[in-house]
Amino acid sequence: MQEFLTIGIYGTAIFLVLLGIYAVIVKKNLIKIVIGLSIMDSGIHLLFVAIGYISGGTAPIFSPMALESGQKMVDPVPQALVLTAIVIGLGVTAVALALVIRLYKHHNTINIDEIKNLKW
Amino acid sequence: MVVANPIYFIAIPLLAAFLLPLLGKLYKPLIRFVPGIIFAFFVYISVVLLLQVQNGEPVITLIAGWEAPWGINLVFSPFSGFIVTLINVLAFLIWLYSYKFKKVVYDDALKYFILLMLIVAGTSGIVLTGDIFNMFVFLEITAISSYSLTAFYRGRDGAEAAFKFLLIGAFASTLILLAILILYTQVGTLNIAEIAARMSTVDPTMKAVILILFFVGFGIEAEMFPMNGWVPDAYSQAPAPVAAVFASMVAKAGIYALVRVIYMMFDLEGAYNLLLIMGVITMVVAEVVAMRQENLRRMLAFSSIGQMGLIMLAFSFHTYAGVFAGIFLMFNHAVIKSLLFLSTGYLVYHSKTKKISGLDGFAKKMPFVALMFGLGAFAIVGLPPFSGFWSKLYLLMAAADDNMIMLIALVLSVSVIEIVYYFKVMSRLYFRKAHTDIPVQKPNLNGIIAMSVLGILVVAVGVYPDLITHFIETAANALMDKTEYINNVLPGITELVN
Repeated sequence: MQEFLTIGIYGTAIFLVLLGIYAVIVKKNLIKIVIGLSIMDSGIHLLFVAIGYISGGTAPIFSPMALESGQKMVDPVPQALVLTAIVIGLGVTAVALALVIRLYKHHNTINIDEIKNLKW
Repeated sequence: MVVANPIYFIAIPLLAAFLLPLLGKLYKPLIRFVPGIIFAFFVYISVVLLLQVQNGEPVITLIAGWEAPWGINLVFSPFSGFIVTLINVLAFLIWLYSYKFKKVVYDDALKYFILLMLIVAGTSGIVLTGDIFNMFVFLEITAISSYSLTAFYRGRDGAEAAFKFLLIGAFASTLILLAILILYTQVGTLNIAEIAARMSTVDPTMKAVILILFFVGFGIEAEMFPMNGWVPDAYSQAPAPVAAVFASMVAKAGIYALVRVIYMMFDLEGAYNLLLIMGVITMVVAEVVAMRQENLRRMLAFSSIGQMGLIMLAFSFHTYAGVFAGIFLMFNHAVIKSLLFLSTGYLVYHSKTKKISGLDGFAKKMPFVALMFGLGAFAIVGLPPFSGFWSKLYLLMAAADDNMIMLIALVLSVSVIEIVYYFKVMSRLYFRKAHTDIPVQKPNLNGIIAMSVLGILVVAVGVYPDLITHFIETAANALMDKTEYINNVLPGITELVN
């Protein structure tokens, strides 16, 4: 069961990253490209949380009770990092969507093949 | 006497950037004054700190009272201090140049000054931080502000350039995140000094994977060859002072991060060879492409990429002489490229296409700006007695120490290409008959002062290089001496690890 879960989580994470890269490279629609970036980020975030997990660990809250019970805790650092990374991902997505709106107003299309005033 | 603390470089501009809209509500000209006052203050405290660390002992600040390696620390070493001083001096001059920028449109000016301060906070953060994840966060602050500044003009193709930049940048940040993740699983820490101390225990294959991920990630900010597609578009679509910001701050922070990671963490022979190969390819491709450009700002952008290649090359020697030349080149590139971009801002102010062929006879119409451009052009190709000459000379001497004769020949022939395309512009400026129909933008006083200071810097360092070589020497020592950095930041960690 444990092994199955591990493979499942890591597999999902890698699948998400690859799916995101696929969307960014292949899709012609700007919105879909932004979604692809977002999916790619999600994959990395999942990977972060999965790596911080220690089998059988509880929430990493430091208290006398937790010390006495002697139970294992999961690594809190990757979770803190993932929170920061999610916020950054949100910021990038927001800027990307704002740029898509600007591009749509300028070119009247969101097909990437039709927007090439600069050499792509 | 102000107690100088490295945290100011990050905290004050971040705070001020978000207070700026409120200050603007009180009194509109405040949005122009406040950034200038802050940058002037930073120039002062960075110089004070830089003089203080000349003995080799870095100034270290802990954030939020947590001791490193648990908390985040800022390290103002002679090397990071030199780059921070450079960033802040140029931030001040670029602020001075753009003081009257968007004088009529209040909202646009507000956005510009907010983003300028965020870029300064971000780049200073990248340079100062002693924590690898923190470096990633500051890289993202810099990158997001850069995307927005690239799309500053609604009328131009800025949004297209910015979207391109964003796609490449977001990909880079994913790779850096992945690199940090793998690094964390291997060494269990995020503090750069502790990582450096523990790196010897990591499996070489794993090291290579992490190195490649970092290389590609930071290489994008540092304008390395296959990942620099954003550079010419962003530089040509953004406002002129922003192009100077990209060349002097963003690219500098990118190359700093790359060099820092390679020198501190990966003492692999392959890392330096990779840097050498990428540097050569970046330099040669960029300079050859630059020669074919018809748009002046695109030409300068490609020339900027070429210079970054030269800097990578200098750092790839992994000798004291190479590092010295590299830091000198970083200084020169920041100062000279800013001068070129700022003067170009006036030269092509009214030209819609920004074509080089539209510049005929401009030297008569605006003698001062043309003189400044000429000064920059002479300096960047490395003619004596300008500052660019010394850095190129030191680079060639460093290459000669390593018996790399072919490399010397390559750098010299690339310099010839540089001379060809810069002098093509110069001959149009000075020896062609002027078009009468193009209106001329008179430079304002702030712009003249900012460009003169840069011009004086170029000549002064060229005539008397000892002005800054002392600082560069201590900076190079600080970068080369890894163990001293580790011992300064985390005393006793080496015994703990071994």
